[in-house]
Amino acid sequence: MKLQPSIWLRTAYARMWVRTKSIYGEPLWVVVTIGFPLFTSLAMALLYRSTGLNSAVGFAVLGGVMISFWGNVLWSMASQFQWDKQQGLFEIYISSPAPITAILVGMSLGGIIGTAPSAALVAFAGWVFFAPPINPFWPGVIVVFGLTLAALYALGMTLASLYLVYGREAEALNEAIHEPVSLLSGVYFPSIGGFSPFPFALQVVASLIPLTIGMDALRRTLFALPGLPPAGFDAIYLHVIALSVMAGSLLVLAQKALKALEERGRRTGTIAVRQR
Amino acid sequence: MSNVRSILASIWIGWYRDFSWTNPLLGLSLRTIPPIASVMAASIVYWWGSFHAGVFDPNRLAYIMIGALLYAHIAAYSMIPNLAIAEGKWTFVFTQVYMSPKSASPYLAGRTLGSFLSSAVTLFLALIAVYLLLPPLFGTSIPLVVTPLSFALFGLALVVNILASMGIGFLLGAYAIFATKFEWALPTYISGLLMIFSEALFPVTFLPGPLSQIANVLPFTEFIRAARAAMIYNDVSSYFYFLGLSAIGGLILLFAGLLAFRRAENRARRLGLLDRKVA
Repeated sequence: MKLQPSIWLRTAYARMWVRTKSIYGEPLWVVVTIGFPLFTSLAMALLYRSTGLNSAVGFAVLGGVMISFWGNVLWSMASQFQWDKQQGLFEIYISSPAPITAILVGMSLGGIIGTAPSAALVAFAGWVFFAPPINPFWPGVIVVFGLTLAALYALGMTLASLYLVYGREAEALNEAIHEPVSLLSGVYFPSIGGFSPFPFALQVVASLIPLTIGMDALRRTLFALPGLPPAGFDAIYLHVIALSVMAGSLLVLAQKALKALEERGRRTGTIAVRQR
Repeated sequence: MSNVRSILASIWIGWYRDFSWTNPLLGLSLRTIPPIASVMAASIVYWWGSFHAGVFDPNRLAYIMIGALLYAHIAAYSMIPNLAIAEGKWTFVFTQVYMSPKSASPYLAGRTLGSFLSSAVTLFLALIAVYLLLPPLFGTSIPLVVTPLSFALFGLALVVNILASMGIGFLLGAYAIFATKFEWALPTYISGLLMIFSEALFPVTFLPGPLSQIANVLPFTEFIRAARAAMIYNDVSSYFYFLGLSAIGGLILLFAGLLAFRRAENRARRLGLLDRKVA
């Protein structure tokens, strides 16, 4: 008997390959994607340094690394189906036997692989320019980083499903939510817990965003925060549970939303209508 | 006269492109959210650092608030010529423009002015919002000078800065005519560079030697200094000094931008490259 990977795996691999190839096949793409995270991270690091608190410069560098992935989730995951629809690619997806969830997962994996060089360059530049003091607990960093990406890209899949019903609104929505989510998630400063400037109610809202939990856990595992115990799994186990639950539930939600919208689109005949 | 008509028509096209997809009020509100969030993020970073370093100063908070608002405002409309060309190639709007007997300059100037007006409205809305939101967050007042005169001077500074922003817009436009890949990323570079080099968040003296000297003479730096002189320090003589420097720098940049764009446009017409989308 000849073993063959399922169509789901083959589809996910194919979509991942296309995305990876489109990024690594054009090295200039790194230059395109690195601009925003690099400059914002440098500016925030200089702002921290201007206050005299050099120990917090690492927050800005970490923020730059994670904002690269958030940007990718928003612009290359959430909006992707909408762009595919404009170009007529989405019609091919739905008329082929390829499972849409496999396409989304492949797109996510390709996005992570493709964003990694930009994120690494931001980290490298931050290290070269500022040499921020770190006190890492590497096993925790690896676990939290992986789970944060899983939850973030699952959120991207959910948004991709929802954006299917929108036209130009999707672009405007992306532009409108990019900065506020970065603010609430505390990309450059702690937005939840004792160090947060936000009132409790706002911290609760912020905690619903996977990036918030991930950023908080990454700061705890990478930096020595005053008044907190040294980083270990004790300090982040709640974060790990929360991120795992978020990743799982967002994946299920994405699948259900996609199915519902696909059925609605087929019924009303609007699934492949290009609105602009 | 016909140039004025072209510019007015282009302002309308820009607004139509930006707001026709929804209720204009909703469109404007959505555009106000990012600058509010961006200013709040920079302010919180300053608060967090200075509070833990024990050097918190409300004046510095106001300094960052004005700077962060203004760099976002400049970035929002100076990139428009680049965007109008890059997007216009795909939507065939730019093709229609260059087929007309005139240069595309009035079209791009009109698009920039349209975006300036929208951005100025969102800037004032964001200024009011952060002025109300930040004090309860940090438990301090923000020492802004809120008088009709300070707002009038602030508004005048915004108008004078159009020269420099339009100048850099035309320079980017000259590049966008020939570019087929990197032009989409240029706005983020402009915004990022302004964040660091226009004294938006920290004095330029924090930058290494030569970079500090370059940043010190940029018209955008002088513009932000003038706005601060009006809104924070209530220093009218410094205001006019910085505004004068900003106007001189802006005129030089506008002249360079128009010259570069005219040459690029003529060359692209000659070589048949004006609607090239793919390398």
